[in-house]
Amino acid sequence: MTTLSQQIINGLSLGSVYALIAVGYSLVYSILLFSNFAHGGFLVVGGYACYFLLTQYGFGIWISITGALVASGVVAIITERMAYKPIRDRTSMTLYLMIASMGVSIVIENIFVIVVGGRFRALPQDTFPHDLFNLGGNVTVNSFDILSLIVAVIFLGGLQLFLNRTRWGLAIRAAACNLNTAGLMGVNVPLLISIVFFVAGLLAAVGGIFLSVRYTLYPQLGGTITTKAFVAAVIGGLGSLPGAVVGSLLLGLAEMLTAGFISSQMRDLVVFSMLVIMLLVKPAGFFGKQVSDKI
Amino acid sequence: MAGYAEGIIVLLSINCIAAMGVSLLTGFTGIFTLGHAAYMALGAYTAAIMTVRYGVHWLPAIVAGGIIAVLVAWLIGIPTLRLTGDYYAIASIGLGEAIRLILENWQSFTRGARGFPGISSYTGRGVAVVFFTILGIGMFNLIESRLGRELKASRDDKVAASLMGFNIPASRMKALLISAFYCGISGALLGGYMNFIQPSMFDMMKSTELTAVVVFGGLGSMSGTLLSSALITWLMEYFRDISQYRMLIYGALLVMIMVLRPEGLLGNREIWSFIPGFRSNTKRRG
Amino acid sequence: MKKCLSFLSVFVVFSMFAALPALGADTIRFGEIATVTGDFAAYGTAEVESVKIAVEEINAAGGVLGKHLEVIMYDCRTRQEDMVNAARRLVEQDKVAAVIGPSGSGLCIAATPIFARGKVPHIGTLPTNPLVTVDEQGKVRPYNFRICFLDPYQGRMMAYFAVKDLGLKKAAILYDVSSDYSQGQREFFIDGFKEYGGAIVADEGFRGDDVDFRSQLTNIKDSGADVLIYPFMGKSLPLAVKQARELGIKTVILGGDGYGDFMWEVAGDTLADTYWVSHVDRYDPVLKNFFDKYQQKTGTECQEFMNAVMAYDCVYWLKDAIERAGSDDPQKIRDALESTKGLKLLHAVLTMDEFHNPKDKDGVMLRCDAVQKKALFFKKVRPE
Repeated sequence: MTTLSQQIINGLSLGSVYALIAVGYSLVYSILLFSNFAHGGFLVVGGYACYFLLTQYGFGIWISITGALVASGVVAIITERMAYKPIRDRTSMTLYLMIASMGVSIVIENIFVIVVGGRFRALPQDTFPHDLFNLGGNVTVNSFDILSLIVAVIFLGGLQLFLNRTRWGLAIRAAACNLNTAGLMGVNVPLLISIVFFVAGLLAAVGGIFLSVRYTLYPQLGGTITTKAFVAAVIGGLGSLPGAVVGSLLLGLAEMLTAGFISSQMRDLVVFSMLVIMLLVKPAGFFGKQVSDKI
Repeated sequence: MAGYAEGIIVLLSINCIAAMGVSLLTGFTGIFTLGHAAYMALGAYTAAIMTVRYGVHWLPAIVAGGIIAVLVAWLIGIPTLRLTGDYYAIASIGLGEAIRLILENWQSFTRGARGFPGISSYTGRGVAVVFFTILGIGMFNLIESRLGRELKASRDDKVAASLMGFNIPASRMKALLISAFYCGISGALLGGYMNFIQPSMFDMMKSTELTAVVVFGGLGSMSGTLLSSALITWLMEYFRDISQYRMLIYGALLVMIMVLRPEGLLGNREIWSFIPGFRSNTKRRG
Repeated sequence: MKKCLSFLSVFVVFSMFAALPALGADTIRFGEIATVTGDFAAYGTAEVESVKIAVEEINAAGGVLGKHLEVIMYDCRTRQEDMVNAARRLVEQDKVAAVIGPSGSGLCIAATPIFARGKVPHIGTLPTNPLVTVDEQGKVRPYNFRICFLDPYQGRMMAYFAVKDLGLKKAAILYDVSSDYSQGQREFFIDGFKEYGGAIVADEGFRGDDVDFRSQLTNIKDSGADVLIYPFMGKSLPLAVKQARELGIKTVILGGDGYGDFMWEVAGDTLADTYWVSHVDRYDPVLKNFFDKYQQKTGTECQEFMNAVMAYDCVYWLKDAIERAGSDDPQKIRDALESTKGLKLLHAVLTMDEFHNPKDKDGVMLRCDAVQKKALFFKKVRPE
């Protein structure tokens, strides 16, 4: 019982980090209908920006975090303008965007390999809470896990408010229904897409900072974890924000429970099997839009 | 230098065989895949295990590699080929990774993630070039055959093609099986060239590379696929010294190809259609 | 678009210059393969820097046989596939006299056929798995050498230390299934530990690129182990230490030779009271000169000291072999390497045994000290 509760806590903690990343995927997908694999790169940018602002330039924690959020948002906008926009202008094939986004993620990863080297870094541990709480019966939870859950909820709640209560939020929701029609209705589409990418980059940076406190910061950080977040977004339903959150928590739990009770080597296999089964049974995921035309 | 040049020729043949397979599926049938490296893995492991553990001659082992890839593709194709567009591409990521992870977890049989060493170097220049020539001739005949026209028809307009009496699901399946065969053979040859295989050689990145090569060459142009495969193989080997920059260049190349020339090097035409006065087969058929 | 194209062409031209191999007539060229990118980048970078230092020193002192030493370095990204490619290139195209590195056992094993076919000697810096120098049938691989001690020794050493010095008899193991190094060390530890009267109460695996070990560690926590064995290296080490402590596992943690000072940044004070096998003692006065020079040359403190010292000594070993061979012919260098006897190197006196492994090399145990944030010499251990 203790083990089960501990594994569930482990799973939720992992899932909450996936959620922040998966929501960014889904947000971009809901507007442009393509899977932006460069998202992992934005995350690495956020992590390193926070790291260097904090350790090299000696800024305070809040300034560093803000700087990291802005940096990754700006990189996301630049990526969109330089790599995706020219493609969107010339073709409607979303697969080109997908391949280009893989290219971008390789570029960002390797720029960091060259500029800062491959050494493993971590944000200074004592800047963040790391006390242990005992939940009774030998089950422990790190206060940082609780913090990351709270922050995930705040950011995702804030995003929901932004989408539901502001003019631009309304425009984004309209664009998610139909980008062209939204354009005809007088929405400034290029600006709208930039805003979407900025928000996605922002969320990625939060995920990146969490990952580099929780785990470690290195150029390939974006690779493995964001593939999982992508799977979570698909399971929840690409383009659906609540879907991304549910999918992430589900995936976090599935991973930890598989590793804990079946075999740790099976966990990735379970992840990808879930993806394939979901696509076969319900391609739109749990919360996705109907995709009768996709099958 | 001779040994090195020979290595490039072998690598080129191997890459071209796999690229032809993916080109048939992606360029000629319109099914985008991001998981075909898994079929290469199946071919490579089949051939490696047969030759090393059971002492089978390399030639039947290579062919068996292709056949195992076909069998697995068939099992996978039945449920998944219903999916189209992005959704097949995403499913193929999952399937490709799942196959790779099974190879990685089946330690008693494949030695798992540690990789499979000690494969004899059966892929010399001769073997690679012969395989490439045979499979290449086969592929160019195939795309001009009835099946090839069926595939192109189903790619361009599914409804019209099925109204003309083509069995679209069946021909899509055939395209998948043939492409898996090509990738399987290519993987088996790669094992014989590298003397060592490892599941991580056949990850999502390798799959992306295969599809990117096809897109770069031009969807629906087999000679374009060969041209771009040659170009990218050569470029990647050329930049091997500056290993840190190599991956950066590769990534930048992917982006630039998509941005600058999304229709690919040759568009959807074959290379001989560019030679003035040379009437291409495609054109003759109107 | 024009801008993009011109950027591309500038880039290509620049890269071509970078790609040109430097050629010299009066030089002896040897190859170096290191993990400069990927998960073990920290270790590889230290090796590259110290090889550079050694080569500079040797050349400043007049070179070898009147010729200058020149090193050609390729990266192998921690992947066997790239290792094979790099080895092929060094052997088949660059025609080097010998090859040094990398530190990973799996990497070295993957490339053994290339060196055998090309008849070029290879010296591993820290590959501790037995299969690096002998094949599965127990026959010595003629062209492969190493400068470090082996996993059977290291595994026994950990077992001996746990049972005899610390009095701990219930071990839990966490190991990396994707690594020959980790799997080998685990097996040798288990053999030794059982022989000394210990019992294995938990045995959990993970895959190389995993970063979250909490589910495995949760199982270990409930197993009642009193010592936790970490036979792996790289980023997984500090993460596994940190996550174990977070889950409330307070047992002694004992690791193989993967320790590096970089771990402090990731794991912080949770590293306190962990023990690590080492090939050298970082604070041995004999090494001070070298580490000072390293700091001066690179501007950073040498954190992966085992790799640095080993790679540095490999170059001097190679120099000695070339001098004794009297030529840069790979075959003669190989013979000279094989007959190395009583060679005084920076960190040890080297004698080759019949299986191309150093004879009688001692290991030391380091203990992490939370106050100084360093791994300090704890004691010399010699398993019986």
